[in-house]
Amino acid sequence: MNFWFSIFRQTGRNLRQTWTTQFMTCLTVSLSVLIFSFFYLIYLNMLNAGDKVSDDLRLVVYLEEEPGPEMQEQLRLKISQFDEVQEIKFISKTEAYNRFAEQLGDNRDVLTDMPTNFLPASIEVIPLKTLRSLSQIKLFAEYLATIPGSQKVQYGQQWVERFYYFIQLLSIVVLLSGALLILTATFMVASTIRLTIFGRQEELELLKLVGATNNYIRTPFLLEGILQGFIGSLLGLTSLYILFQWTARHFSGAGFLDLFTFTFFPPGIIITIVLLSIVLCTAGSYTSMQKFLRI
Amino acid sequence: MTEATTSSRTAMIEMIKVCKKFPPNVMALDDISVSIANGEMFFLIGRSGAGKTTLLKLLCNMERPTNGLIEVAGMNINQVTGNKLAKLRQKVGVAYQDFRLLTDRTVAENIAISMEVSYKKPQIIRNRVKSLLSQLQLEDKHDILTGDLSRGEQQRVALARAVANSPTLILVDEPTGNLDATSTRQVMELLIRCNNSGATIVIATHDEALYQHSTHRIMKLHNGKLESLTRGDGRGWPSVAGARDSAGATDGSGDEI
Repeated sequence: MNFWFSIFRQTGRNLRQTWTTQFMTCLTVSLSVLIFSFFYLIYLNMLNAGDKVSDDLRLVVYLEEEPGPEMQEQLRLKISQFDEVQEIKFISKTEAYNRFAEQLGDNRDVLTDMPTNFLPASIEVIPLKTLRSLSQIKLFAEYLATIPGSQKVQYGQQWVERFYYFIQLLSIVVLLSGALLILTATFMVASTIRLTIFGRQEELELLKLVGATNNYIRTPFLLEGILQGFIGSLLGLTSLYILFQWTARHFSGAGFLDLFTFTFFPPGIIITIVLLSIVLCTAGSYTSMQKFLRI
Repeated sequence: MTEATTSSRTAMIEMIKVCKKFPPNVMALDDISVSIANGEMFFLIGRSGAGKTTLLKLLCNMERPTNGLIEVAGMNINQVTGNKLAKLRQKVGVAYQDFRLLTDRTVAENIAISMEVSYKKPQIIRNRVKSLLSQLQLEDKHDILTGDLSRGEQQRVALARAVANSPTLILVDEPTGNLDATSTRQVMELLIRCNNSGATIVIATHDEALYQHSTHRIMKLHNGKLESLTRGDGRGWPSVAGARDSAGATDGSGDEI
């Protein structure tokens, strides 16, 4: 009989003996994973949705005078000093007039008697579509207002701020549910392993006396932690997937859900969540062993 | 077996000036020095509280001596740790006075434990368990929980577990305390067989019949001190004489040594 065969036998025997406690721990871990991944999934989808909606987001700086080429270069440098941006575009007075006329369409006749330079020149700044950039948009707008020659800065203030606060709130919920996952996974597993160790004290003592090595005694407990993390996270993620499919089936084509394409986690994130649960549960098991297993 | 032959063999156990004191001030063993040769059968006698069980516990590293040196198979057992200690313990079979059986496991599982820790193949374990149960007339108890057995049966299971892994040293504490004459004979036959296949055996007992007529050395303890070290009279124990003869045991003189 080799080492791993003995270890798996020991683990299986222990799982059979304490299956109710193990089952409850697994359920708690899976519930924590479900709560965490539920909020994380919403968070990721909202970020994607925000990304799409904010494609049109731009800051418009109205200028007192139309800048010359040299001035344009200076302004470009000044803007880039604050933050990296996706694009900076200068709109001359004539260009602004043409755009306006185009927007008026059939009603462009109203501009017949107007000079072509009655609209102010402007700079269109398209920020990077990152959360950091979005969160700084207000500060950026304030900075642009201080640029020499700027009259007024405009952007979709209300929408951006609301969206940013929502994302911020969601990230706090994700962090809290992450903390819940860490606490439940480590503490529940630690407490289960502690109970198991106490329940098997007599057997562990005997194993030690008949010559079991430390690894022979400890590895099954670590394996239990790994199994709880693995099964718990798989259960949690499977439940979330079923919930996701159900929601997609029942709410598709209606209301706001139709605005965005909701997607499930990519394989990379699923693997990360499973590994994270395994690591947390193993850590719980390990701490309990260090504390209560005297060999 | 003479003193000369005992000392010519390498020692399995060396105890030099061993003392064991329990708090607050109970001297369980005081200045014990003895050498037990490889392959020897050795009896440890004395009244209750004389220190027999303490001495066995020191030998299997369940307790540490307050003073003195204990060597088992050439190793100072109080300095051996980790995997080396585990390997040493795999070679030392112990049948405890309180049996230390897992009462929620079957007889077979209890006996198998000592072989599982040294990664014996399942087939070998199954065969060995069956063979031991048959030698101790416990074949029908294979799948019975040890908690459901009588004291005498539990005692025999504990002994079977001690010898299952073919250890080189077997420590037995009161092996026949709960047994009738037939079971006592079976137990002694098993121990003699192990001894004849090379195992060193140390038996702590009250039962005079076990050692009185044997050829083996007998150490008597009294209040933790070594009172005498003698040999049995060598007439042999009638019930086990057959087993011993068939196993080729040597004669003894029964002299004081």
